[in-house]
Amino acid sequence: MLFCYVALLPIVALFLYVRIIPIGFSFLLSFYKWNLISPRRPFVGFDNYLGLLDDENFILALKNTTIYSFSTVLLSTAIALPLAVFLSRKSRLSAFYQTVYFLPVITPMVPVSIAWKWIYDYNYGILNYGFSLVGLPSVPWLTDPDIALWALVVMGVWKVLGYNMVLFLVGIRNIPLEYMEAASLDGASDWQRFWRITLPLLRPILLYVLVTSTIAAYNVFTQVYVMTLGSQSAPGQAVRMLVFDIYTNGFQFFRMGYASAEAVILTLIVLGLTVVQFSLVREDKVKEG
Amino acid sequence: MSNTTIGRRGALQLAAGAGAAAMAGGPAAAADVTLAVWTGYPELEPWYKAIGEAYTKAKGTKVTVFSTSLREHEQKLAAAVPTGTGPDVFDVGQILGITFIEAGLVKPNPASVDGLLKSGAYRKSSVEQFTTEGKTYGLPMLFSTPAMFWNKTMFKEAGLAGPPNTFQEKMAFAKKLTKFDASGKMIRSGMSLRLSGQGSGIAEKFRFILEPAGGTLIVPNGKGKFHQGYDNDAGRNALKYYVDAVQVEKVDDPKVQHDSAAFVAANTAMLMREAWVIGEIKKQNPTLDYGVAPMPAWGSGPHKTLLQHNGLWVNAKSKNIDAAYDFMVFLSSKEASVALTQMSGWVAARSDVDWSPLLKEIPQYKEFVAPAEGMQFYPEPVMAAWNEIETRLADRLPGAYADPAMQDPAKLAAFIKTAAAQTDQILKQNDLYGT
Repeated sequence: MLFCYVALLPIVALFLYVRIIPIGFSFLLSFYKWNLISPRRPFVGFDNYLGLLDDENFILALKNTTIYSFSTVLLSTAIALPLAVFLSRKSRLSAFYQTVYFLPVITPMVPVSIAWKWIYDYNYGILNYGFSLVGLPSVPWLTDPDIALWALVVMGVWKVLGYNMVLFLVGIRNIPLEYMEAASLDGASDWQRFWRITLPLLRPILLYVLVTSTIAAYNVFTQVYVMTLGSQSAPGQAVRMLVFDIYTNGFQFFRMGYASAEAVILTLIVLGLTVVQFSLVREDKVKEG
Repeated sequence: MSNTTIGRRGALQLAAGAGAAAMAGGPAAAADVTLAVWTGYPELEPWYKAIGEAYTKAKGTKVTVFSTSLREHEQKLAAAVPTGTGPDVFDVGQILGITFIEAGLVKPNPASVDGLLKSGAYRKSSVEQFTTEGKTYGLPMLFSTPAMFWNKTMFKEAGLAGPPNTFQEKMAFAKKLTKFDASGKMIRSGMSLRLSGQGSGIAEKFRFILEPAGGTLIVPNGKGKFHQGYDNDAGRNALKYYVDAVQVEKVDDPKVQHDSAAFVAANTAMLMREAWVIGEIKKQNPTLDYGVAPMPAWGSGPHKTLLQHNGLWVNAKSKNIDAAYDFMVFLSSKEASVALTQMSGWVAARSDVDWSPLLKEIPQYKEFVAPAEGMQFYPEPVMAAWNEIETRLADRLPGAYADPAMQDPAKLAAFIKTAAAQTDQILKQNDLYGT
């Protein structure tokens, strides 16, 4: 046992060094005013946090990120689950479709974002080209402030769908066949088997999917950065997200303390949502008990 | 670089002359020294390498060059210079430069560099920009001013004899130059404005009209403090100009192609941009028939254009500080300056350079290297908060340009008032506010 703990020490030390200490330092930094370059770092107490309360950009970023996260998580889960149920059936094409849906997950975000920027292009994008073939007018997917955020949601769902689907698929395949057979013998319909057996037994997987998807969605950055870069891109405010705002404050305005305060708030939000999601499952366990 | 008018060899030959001149008076650099140079302009990398090779030939000091995009470059410098892991020489705009100066990470120039800066080799405005509290820091490298590109073929087609002289004329001309397809979709803009995206560039382009109209983003109070200078007729007129261009006159549209890409592809008739666009045209559409005119005036007002400097700086923590200053001077020679413009399209900051060979080959450079008589320059204020001031305004502008409510003068005025209040707020947060 002691050997195991000793063997784990290097990893724990590395984790502390690259994760815990920077997080702690960010928390500490949120009480200071620092521009990264200057040796002067005055203590400002809660000023950075108070500043966030009437910072229009922060509030807008919080609103946009929440809309993006809830939409992406709900849509990707709602689509991935039936897809997984469908693909869990024995079929020759199942593996092919799984691969197709999983491809976006393993594709790096920057090229994917650039590709979507082209797909959404008003003049030359394939999406508007498709619209033109059926007589529909072109849509300014990125440049219209009312549409741009939803364009990002669509891309976000596309990117994460395969990951969620594979997790659900693994969960479904781990459900003992006997349960399904017994239910069939009792005359349960497809829907009843899904609702009464598959979904309750998938609850731990569902929780994992919800938690990891929410964390990932709240940390959205790369696609926002790419999609707002250049003159032919989304208006910055329409798709302003929290991590983008943190990046702007930290690395464009060099307001490291302020950016750290934002990062702390983001951590607390994600932590809060995770606790809520966990408590929902715990409540279920109590009911089961 | 196949697209440049001067090859690597040519640059080496030019710089060799500078090397000989520099050797005569400059401090001797150790042969075993290697200088690290970082640039935020990847298009300048071939130039740095060529001049670096010439320097190695002349002095024995080796030079390594590392380039990244400007934003990444600024972030890398901000992290590396204070921790002593930065380059010996780097280029960066004045806004970040002043932060390094305030932090003591760039020291006042030694006498030889100070002498060069004040020798008459640079414009007065350049010397002023590189002087802080009576001491000079770094050397100006790029002298960047926008001018107006206009497509001669399109003007001819529209029966227009030449470029507009005022912004009002520009709007009228643009109306004649804009093209729509049968469905009413704009297929060519009359003028390309900056209408979307994010970042300080949007506010910077807003200033192209605001300043000639008589406004400015911030006004100094003469005691080292500032306050907003656009909650006035000029600010409202500048915004109205944009709103009219998009919503009323319909000479530009956020949905069509913009910026240099649009001008190079002949998808817009007019564009206000810096000299580097010439290089883009040469590379991508060399047959494009175009001219470059001074920035238009606002009515009977003066012609005004933005002046941005990008400087060369020596890291105070450099272990080879003497060699670094020596190389900075070498990079700033007349010959290296000509090579810089010829190889990259950017205009070098030295004003005592003979540009006639360049102008003979590419006359469109005239407005950039020898601006029109009477042209007034408005420089970027040298303050760390400037980027935030511009970026915060830029956050708001694209929404306003496309918002139909902005056609109501009261709502437009309210928008300007709110934006200007935010500018004052940023100044207050940075202890820079004063009336």
